Amino acid sequence: MAGSDLVSGGRLRREADPAGSALRGIRPWPVLPRLGAMSTLEVRDLTRTFGDLRAVDGVSFAARDGMLTGFVGSNGAGKTSTMRMMMGVLAITSGEVLLDGAPVTRADRRTFGYMPEERGLYPKQPALDQLVYLARLRGIPAAQARTEAMDHLERLGLGERAKDHVEKLSLGNQQRVQITAALMGRPRALILDEPFSGLDPSAVDDMVDLLREHTARGVPVLFSSHQLDLVERLCERLVILRGGRVVADGTPADLQSTGTVRHRLVLGGDAGWVRGVPGVHAVDVDGTTALVELVDDAAAQRLLASALERGTVHELSPVRPSLAQIYREVTS
Amino acid sequence: MTAPTQDPTRTTSAPQPPDDGARGAWRLVMQREIVTKAMNKAFVVGLLVSLGVIAALAAFFTWQGNRVDTSTVAVSGGDTAAVAAVTSAADLARAEGGNDEIEVLEVADDASAQAAVEDGDADAWLQTGTDGGWMLSAQGEPDGTLTRFVGTAVEQQTVAANAEAAGTSVAELSAGAELSTQALDADAMGEQAMFFATFALSFLFFAGALTSGNMIASSVVEEKQSRLVEIIATAVPLRQLLAGKILGSSVIAIGQNLLFAGVGLIAVAASPISIALPALSTSLIWFVVFFAIGFLALAALYAVAGALASRAEDLQYTSTPMTFLVMGVYFLTFTASGTFLTVLSYVPIANVVAMPARVLSGDATWWEPVVSLLILAGFAAVALLVSERAFRGSLLQTGGRISWRQALRSPS
Repeated sequence: MAGSDLVSGGRLRREADPAGSALRGIRPWPVLPRLGAMSTLEVRDLTRTFGDLRAVDGVSFAARDGMLTGFVGSNGAGKTSTMRMMMGVLAITSGEVLLDGAPVTRADRRTFGYMPEERGLYPKQPALDQLVYLARLRGIPAAQARTEAMDHLERLGLGERAKDHVEKLSLGNQQRVQITAALMGRPRALILDEPFSGLDPSAVDDMVDLLREHTARGVPVLFSSHQLDLVERLCERLVILRGGRVVADGTPADLQSTGTVRHRLVLGGDAGWVRGVPGVHAVDVDGTTALVELVDDAAAQRLLASALERGTVHELSPVRPSLAQIYREVTS
Repeated sequence: MTAPTQDPTRTTSAPQPPDDGARGAWRLVMQREIVTKAMNKAFVVGLLVSLGVIAALAAFFTWQGNRVDTSTVAVSGGDTAAVAAVTSAADLARAEGGNDEIEVLEVADDASAQAAVEDGDADAWLQTGTDGGWMLSAQGEPDGTLTRFVGTAVEQQTVAANAEAAGTSVAELSAGAELSTQALDADAMGEQAMFFATFALSFLFFAGALTSGNMIASSVVEEKQSRLVEIIATAVPLRQLLAGKILGSSVIAIGQNLLFAGVGLIAVAASPISIALPALSTSLIWFVVFFAIGFLALAALYAVAGALASRAEDLQYTSTPMTFLVMGVYFLTFTASGTFLTVLSYVPIANVVAMPARVLSGDATWWEPVVSLLILAGFAAVALLVSERAFRGSLLQTGGRISWRQALRSPS
């Protein structure tokens, strides 16, 4: 079907990243050729005010094809409002949402998979029935919806429970049904608000596997999360929001390189003396180990020379900041 | 604008023209509303119980209407006047052709007669009094019908005796005093039957509007509370969702009322007032038509009540105006009469009950229900338009209850 559509869209067009240019010295993500439905979902200067409050204040970023983009920020940072505006559920005060460079339409959004926050399902309807219903609302034929829903449920180990009322399923299983609802009908983009909250690690792995299948066919996935370790492990790209503004946007490695790099020094004897070395800021000294920040390379040489003068040096190595540390730096 | 890109492996739907891919979504929504309701055990059990109650009530009234009520009156054998009076009372009862029968129980003396009443062998005891009057005694207050027959018999007997004593006859005394009765409209119902029929219409409206109205409100808030509405809103226009819900709950409400009315009519056909069947059927048809139109407006308003709430607990507040409206119509219509009923028969929503009631009583000319229905349709159209806007303005707002004013002002 519709083969002629495939190249006419903006899908294969690659422009300089307009959102990225505004961001802090982050390299553009390398564009890899891919097969399948590739699209980039982008927001530009998105703003939403509630009375005097600017809940979302000129937010720009892009969720690229085939990538898991993590959306991080504290409560009230504007993540949910941004995602709701992207899905057309919340009216936009100003700014725009673009799919492959063109303003996103209602017809486009019908093909997006969406998981709202604080979500639920119809408690008194069988899981299979409501998956089929939600899929049919999006225009997927009944028979196909049924097959696809059963496939998903079986994969998630819920094949036997497909006809059970949702209220009889555990919370984790209900969440599996919810994500299935978002993944039905091969969505062109996925916008997931806290998809992993309340899930045990194995359920997280199940879901990540599913999401990877979608990124593999070129679908952009944007998900918000409070679990920074998870975001660090999963995401190819990360957008951090604070007070309605984007404060960081890039790959985890990019962000880590922009964070303050520290060094660990492990000596044969007591390390207390490092506090007196010029150009060296001792963050923490514990017996023979010191965690230091160095103003420049010369300071590093001075530190090492002094250490060798005093005895054995077991280790002097850079310590990559964790994402949690970067998050604290950019949001404080 | 660029054309929407399509996944080559996607075989689901043809490329859709912008914004109209969801035009038939109301059908899916309606279907779900009906199926979920029909599969709901509480609903089905409630429906069956209601039908059972209607059938049982009808059976009771039919039985009540057909059963022969025999009263036994004890008299002392020596009290010939009393024996004669009860015998003629029994004749009177038989002559009236109703379901009342009077039997005479002759006993030896007054003491035995009193004992017969006390033992339950007789329902009452008639004796001529010592001071020239009569006395009808029973365990409690004597039965009204029995008292009427015995009273008439006693009166006739005494008048006859007095007339004879005065040298004349009863026939002479009562010449020209005969009152005959005639029913001009053989179909017209008695006053009591009218009251019950109007009450039944009010109740059908009340039960249908309240249960189905709350059904649509809670189905809206269920989706809102679970945020399913956000998923649905990205798939179909909210107008489609509202239309599907209104039509779905209307089908349930009207279907339920047709069932009730059908069972009621079958019961009436089997009862002594089956003569009222044609009038009742005409009125019920009008009622169903009025109800169908009126319920569209009510369902739309109830849907807004659901959209204004954020959680199921808010519903009792947001649906309060609707509850008052429905209860008000219920109480007003089954108690109203005369000019007030005529006025009500043109007031939207109240006319759903009041006009069919006037059709039933034969009070309304042919064009009156038509005009009233047009007024109702106009009201329903306005209610639908306003509700649609309020529904869109409130459904996607989260956090607390929303007022009608906020809902109507909201941009989306």
